[in-house]
Amino acid sequence: MSARQILFGQVETGQSITSLQLGPLTTSHLVRWCGASENWHKIHYDAAFAVQHDGLPGLLINGSLKQHFLAKMLKDWAGGQGRLWKLSYQFRAMNLVGEALTAWGIVTGTEERGRFGLVYLAVGIRNEHGRESTPGKAAVVLPLSTAVPVPYPFDPERDLA
Amino acid sequence: MPETHPETLLTDEIRAHIGMEGPVLTATEQVERGYVRRFAQAIMDVSPEYAQAGNRDPDPLSPPLLPLFLFQRPFPSGDYLTERAGDPDFDGTDLSSYTGLPELPLPGLALLNGGAEVEFFRYARHGELVEQQSRYLDIRERQSSKGPMLLVLTETTYSTVAGEKLLRVVQTDIRR
Repeated sequence: MSARQILFGQVETGQSITSLQLGPLTTSHLVRWCGASENWHKIHYDAAFAVQHDGLPGLLINGSLKQHFLAKMLKDWAGGQGRLWKLSYQFRAMNLVGEALTAWGIVTGTEERGRFGLVYLAVGIRNEHGRESTPGKAAVVLPLSTAVPVPYPFDPERDLA
Repeated sequence: MPETHPETLLTDEIRAHIGMEGPVLTATEQVERGYVRRFAQAIMDVSPEYAQAGNRDPDPLSPPLLPLFLFQRPFPSGDYLTERAGDPDFDGTDLSSYTGLPELPLPGLALLNGGAEVEFFRYARHGELVEQQSRYLDIRERQSSKGPMLLVLTETTYSTVAGEKLLRVVQTDIRR
């Protein structure tokens, strides 16, 4: 979690938020996630099956794992007084074992709504070669001042009226 | 012989599933402290608020998307990994539906995770029991170089058994 709370007034369109660096991701990372998620799809840990049977170029990093990287990046950026409200993502390209990933976000718009500020972002995940795999969008609610944190639990109908 | 593809996958039988709602399902177990630890370590998000009370909530929390993974094969049940161990084409996936929705009659078509839209309300607390309910929100057809494919949009709401909203997720599955 961020040590300092970011406020709505500190955010501008075009600004990059703090990115999240991960990896290189190994088979061990994927097996750990397969166990936690109870998903035993062989394309994530059985190289012979992935390559010879399914014709893939290697073991695939789970989309179900990558989605958490975006959520963590945004949650941490919003800080303890802000709220991650919405996140969408598309798994458009594969990431393979051995890749190092970067979750990133850029502010695409801002809007003051009631007592809080809405920040819209383009987000994504790219590998160490700059290849994008997981484009998406997000909406984060930030406080206007530290005196009035965004409520938790968050109710958009009540809190953004 | 050139490979042939059906003109459409979006038949009336498939279209009839749009709007179908599944039953309210209760998670296999409540949110357990040990599971939260293993889950948080696996996603590499070891926030202190997952282990102890923080300034956001008086109770330890769980990672935002954890409720999606609380609906697992119940115990006791058959061991599908053992049952299919001798099948060289078995890909390791569990064919059970954890949404409670009727399966779409699309035998032989691959299922790919296309992505999702998530709306967050609050994070599940340790000890809470979570429910989910799903419905087929929409089924759309797209043409690809390999023929038609379907985008199956399933909306699932996650709540506590006390009725507090946690998440709303629209999952896109690609069938081709």
